[in-house]
Amino acid sequence: MIRIGNASGFYGDRLSAMREQLEGGDLDVLTGDYLAELTMLILGRDRMKDSQLGYAKTFLRQMEDCLGLALDKGVKIVVNAGGLNPEGLARKLDAKVGYVTGDDLKARFPEALTANAYLGAWEIADCLDQGAQVVVTGRVTDASLVVGPAAAHFGWARDDWDKLAGATVAGHVLECGTQATGGNYSFFTEIDTTKPGFPIAEIDEDGSCLITKHDGTGGTVTTDTVTAQLLYEIGAPEYLGPDVTTHFDTIKLEQHPRGVRISETKGSPPPDTLKVCLNTLGGFRNSTTFVLTGLDVDAKADLVKRQLQQAIGDEGLTWTLARTDQTDAPTEEQASALLHVTIKTTDPKRAKGFSRAAIELALASYPGFHVTAPPSDGTPFGVYKAAYVNRDEVSAKAVLL
Amino acid sequence: MKRPLGTIAGARSGDKGGDANLGVWVRTEEAYEWLSTFLTKEKLKELLPEAQEVTRYDLPNLKALNFVLHGLLGEGVASSTRFDPQAKALGEWLRSREVEIPEELL
Repeated sequence: MIRIGNASGFYGDRLSAMREQLEGGDLDVLTGDYLAELTMLILGRDRMKDSQLGYAKTFLRQMEDCLGLALDKGVKIVVNAGGLNPEGLARKLDAKVGYVTGDDLKARFPEALTANAYLGAWEIADCLDQGAQVVVTGRVTDASLVVGPAAAHFGWARDDWDKLAGATVAGHVLECGTQATGGNYSFFTEIDTTKPGFPIAEIDEDGSCLITKHDGTGGTVTTDTVTAQLLYEIGAPEYLGPDVTTHFDTIKLEQHPRGVRISETKGSPPPDTLKVCLNTLGGFRNSTTFVLTGLDVDAKADLVKRQLQQAIGDEGLTWTLARTDQTDAPTEEQASALLHVTIKTTDPKRAKGFSRAAIELALASYPGFHVTAPPSDGTPFGVYKAAYVNRDEVSAKAVLL
Repeated sequence: MKRPLGTIAGARSGDKGGDANLGVWVRTEEAYEWLSTFLTKEKLKELLPEAQEVTRYDLPNLKALNFVLHGLLGEGVASSTRFDPQAKALGEWLRSREVEIPEELL
């Protein structure tokens, strides 16, 4: 059995989770996911400002605090915090570090700000086989962070489909941290989720696992909390990944005194193509929210729309009137509707001009004019797209420093 | 009896590019039998009128249905002008909709 924990479900998750997982009990490997679709865009913009950046900076802070502790306890660290610059991050860590590279396909998609193939588990396994104490990757599938260490530990073959599928399910349950242990959970009133603990998968040689968490941590692990996380961000029951296709309609869950047993998961060969996460700059956006209180809400909305359109033109404006108001309301807030307006434009000057145009209306528009937050100077926005490339166009590599 | 769907069903939702996914699950076999008949994709669109093109996938082993709401989020979270651009609360919205639930399931 290998005991793999998770200490991060996104870039910005609980900073102390790394220490909590290391001090809370035994682990073999501690993983962390830092990369959402949106994060790649954020890191892409970091990298534009400074080519040395492009990785998840919070992970570095966690390592300053915890790397010594992890090394002392013999816990290996496997994270995708490398983002767009795994080598840059790897070189900042004082340990035997391996990194995974080859996901960056910007040369193939020059129009994109970021273009990264979703790599799999085998380069992570390679790094661990070569003795890495810490493995940092760029864009790998979230589940690979768990599949890689399990595959290395048990010496699985690349066509051990059921085992790889079982570990993929474990990885999917862990990848969002406390979403597996009662965080963000529909039936939260039935449990104590004040501070849910981070999840752990105890994976067996056959790929089955026990989802659990350290004793004394908050939240809970039940078939319900695990089901909730299994349903997160999935599509068809054939869950496609770079290493295996996992059949979510074969998963069996059973309540166990220490958590939830997951078994019987079936796997089959993965597709011939790899998914690519593409972020392009879509233009500039800006937005504000007008508060419309009391009588004549529709007419108030019409007036301010006409005025803003006259000032900056109609193109690229999206209006949403949220009728949150009640008639004859006992509080001012309950008497108010919200009119959201967003501008999306290729012209940064127009995005900035939007603010001025909106604020200039302050004494010249509907009675009771105010906004919930003043508009800013406008910010660039990204457009996300998935693309697919043949496997032979991607050369993933494990590098040991 | 007319009750919020969330009285007996849990849900979790999220984003994949411009699509949203919405998983719904129940806790007994009887409830799943009812849910899988009741919550067709047409019914889902009726309960969530903002949904356009919907695909439903069945996961009887998890007593769950997974819906993909195509195009709900436009070109993804960074670009979307939709309220809740990552569809985080879509499931809780669905759970609050009142539907006719057989009394023996309550």
